[in-house]
Amino acid sequence: MSDRILGAACVVLAAGMAWAAKDYAAPISYEPVGPRAFPLLLAMLMATGGVWLVVRPGPHDSGLRLAQFRTLGLTVGAVFAYAFLFEFLGFTIATTVMAVPVGMAFGGSWKQALAGGLGLGVVLYLMFDKLLDVVLPTGLLKFALGGH
Amino acid sequence: MDTLQFLMTGFGVALTPTNLGVAATGALIGTVVGMLPGLGPINGVAILMPLAFALKLPPETALILLAAVYMGCEYGGRISSILLNVPGDAGAIMTALDGYPMARKGMGGVALSISAWSSFIGSLVATIGIVLFAPLLARWALAFGPAEYFALMCFAFACITGLMGDAPVKAAMAAVLGLALSTVGLDSNSGVYRFTGDDVHLSDGIQFIVVVIGVFSVSEILLMLEQHHSSEGVIKATGRALFNLKEMRQTWWGTVRSSVVGFVVGVLPGAGATIASAMTYSMEKRIAGADGRFGEGDIRGVAAPEAANNASAAGSFVPMLTLGVPGSGTTAVMVGALALYNITPGPALFTQNPTLVWGLIASLFVANVMLLVINIPLVGVFTRLLRTPNWMLVPGILAISAVGVYSVHATTFDLVLMSTLGVVAFLLRKQGMPMAPLILGFVLGDLMEQNLRRALSITNGEIGILFESPISKGLWIVAAAMVIVPPLLRFVGRKRNVMPAAD
Repeated sequence: MSDRILGAACVVLAAGMAWAAKDYAAPISYEPVGPRAFPLLLAMLMATGGVWLVVRPGPHDSGLRLAQFRTLGLTVGAVFAYAFLFEFLGFTIATTVMAVPVGMAFGGSWKQALAGGLGLGVVLYLMFDKLLDVVLPTGLLKFALGGH
Repeated sequence: MDTLQFLMTGFGVALTPTNLGVAATGALIGTVVGMLPGLGPINGVAILMPLAFALKLPPETALILLAAVYMGCEYGGRISSILLNVPGDAGAIMTALDGYPMARKGMGGVALSISAWSSFIGSLVATIGIVLFAPLLARWALAFGPAEYFALMCFAFACITGLMGDAPVKAAMAAVLGLALSTVGLDSNSGVYRFTGDDVHLSDGIQFIVVVIGVFSVSEILLMLEQHHSSEGVIKATGRALFNLKEMRQTWWGTVRSSVVGFVVGVLPGAGATIASAMTYSMEKRIAGADGRFGEGDIRGVAAPEAANNASAAGSFVPMLTLGVPGSGTTAVMVGALALYNITPGPALFTQNPTLVWGLIASLFVANVMLLVINIPLVGVFTRLLRTPNWMLVPGILAISAVGVYSVHATTFDLVLMSTLGVVAFLLRKQGMPMAPLILGFVLGDLMEQNLRRALSITNGEIGILFESPISKGLWIVAAAMVIVPPLLRFVGRKRNVMPAAD
């Protein structure tokens, strides 16, 4: 990725914002500045900055290397899977499942990561849900732990 | 004196058993978070903020927790700088320059204890500075109207982008992006839903916690993937554990000077611990002159930047408490935390909610003493924690972050939004876009729009009012200078340096 792509993305986003904001109008207006002005101002600023980056990109290179894509993909996938399955699987199981790929991406063996994840899942569940009263989903373990 | 009386009330709040316990917990957690390379104060405060809210802590207790974490991080960063040559957070970069050589010479214990001492002095000087100057500033700021506020916020953005150095355009874009994110949801003035895509989950706007965790926890984890440093390099033999009187006398004035400079830099929006410690390091190096051995393990090079980064952290509470405009990413997160309790920081806070303000200030004193106590004798415990493997640490951070986000609304939607924002923030950071302006924009967005609209309502749409009063004029001029002067200086500097010096 380069500054040019970033700039272009900003211009596209600004255009989208402006297009969405153009219809924002108050049904009855008490003030001179309605809900449309501020978003349009921001869209204008963003477009200006985006064009600047396209025209005068810096030497900055994001340094995303192909070699990292395996661990990066693994981690990003695990983060999203965790988000989607958090309620369904319940905190303890979801955390264990998430910790395996993430732990491996950070240099652990699968056994270490699995054991670590299970430990985290159980200890954090007990600490937050039972001790500190922060209710966490029990998911598949509902039959044993109760809750919802 | 009023101030003294208020301070006593503050100690009444800070010394309750709950708040003492919370301050001690925060100090411990902060030291650990600051010490771990890759995690700094902003990450620590961001991850703990939703938990404080989920635990239903009262606002002053929550703020005391976050403030203790912030201070603790500034203490903790030095440990890995000295023992590992990897700064634990950005403010501790300069500490590694002389701290690590000292540790290699078998003086690690001395470096650790003198830096804890100078951190203590730095925080103490800056907290006294808060007591002296914050009420004055708050009284002055009471005269601010909407136009002045709008100008003030533009000034804060100018500072935070102008001082970002290499990428002012990207920093400004980050601020605009943050402002844009804050417009999502119901516009309270007109009842119009903006940028919600007709999704119920977005009708209330994007939750602050979701943005903060996404930007400072998830994206941080992805960035950590690339920096694998093994913990095997930790220097174990630390030698004499405590500095002696001679070493204390040698560093004393440098520590005091650096504390004052650090406080002033911290009060200015935008500048922060990193700039403060770099400034004071070179200042002390210049003052020491020929008899300094900076870079080879000079004890003054350890004391000065540590005093400065702690002082600037404490100093950054001043604009947050008195003006309601945070000067750093970390205090921006705290303003967001207060917003969860429906508290808007600003000059009125000093009169309307003195227990909160003075309780926080008093607890800075308390936490500072605690930090000194835990950082000198217990430093060995922390160094052992430095060997926690990342395959254990990172899933733990992710799990705690998810708990924090889930505890607010208990929806899968928020967790997915957190992940998405985290990946986007990761890509933006890889492209050199700083995230502190984004969070500042998100926190200030609503306030900024409201003040702009209120100001323009007064004159029925005439924008002249924004530049009318002497205060707004002054703020606009300084803001413009903030944007124009740094690049100009760099341009002039480049012209003068005919030789392309490596920087």
